[in-house]
Amino acid sequence: MSTVDLDAHLAAIAAGDPDAFERWVAGAEHPLRVSLHSFATRVDVEAVVQEGLLRAWNVAPRIVHDGAPNALLRTTLRIVRNLAIDEVRRARSVAIDDDELDESLRFATFEAMPDPLLREAIHRCSEQLPPRPRAALGARIASEGAEHDRTLASRLGMELNTFLQNFTRARKLLADCLRGRGFDLGDLA
Amino acid sequence: MTPEEREALIEAVTTAHRTIDPFTRMADGHPAFHDLDDEGRRIAYERTLVTRTVERALDPRGLSTTARAVVARLRRRLDDIR
Repeated sequence: MSTVDLDAHLAAIAAGDPDAFERWVAGAEHPLRVSLHSFATRVDVEAVVQEGLLRAWNVAPRIVHDGAPNALLRTTLRIVRNLAIDEVRRARSVAIDDDELDESLRFATFEAMPDPLLREAIHRCSEQLPPRPRAALGARIASEGAEHDRTLASRLGMELNTFLQNFTRARKLLADCLRGRGFDLGDLA
Repeated sequence: MTPEEREALIEAVTTAHRTIDPFTRMADGHPAFHDLDDEGRRIAYERTLVTRTVERALDPRGLSTTARAVVARLRRRLDDIR
């Protein structure tokens, strides 16, 4: 694994290139999600990450380089943190102490992942999944987050609960297979 | 809530599908998230981390379903502007 500077895409993003933004999102999503782990019981992190990524597009033209890598990512880390805080306050949930807030800013640099060996192992293991778990996993990937699970289940001729059970099974089987190849998905969290 | 019902809620939260509020144009939290206890929410978060890693590995451009959902929203907005 190697440290990457996603600001390689910044100039093109600031100029309005959605393809460059896509490449930036591919690298930025994981560190943003990890940075919100202390909020996981209080806000729906998925919704915050999606909103934060979209706002990164809006702020990109105003980013000023400070000499350190990943300026846009560091700005977006603050954006998602503030979105999460707003959501906690809106829900009048438990107060957050400053240590937790500071912790989310540790992710100014990060490692590129998944590494090529892990990617290859995931490919191999996914090909070995039984048909129904494989179909559930494939349906969510193909939908690109655009469709409700109920719609995907119906398309596969499954009840919603059966679809969800098959998705759970797919991930467990993948994890077992990867463990057999020397990868522990738990380490990636 | 039975263990099976709780398990279904946890798995439901791991999808990247989120409805968009028509007034704020922001992604809403998943309804199942609000029905879960703290431990269920933590499990859903950790499963989502793993799931997105799998998705990125299986995608030719290294994009998870979250990334694809966000980029699709952006492209729709740009289309609306043009």
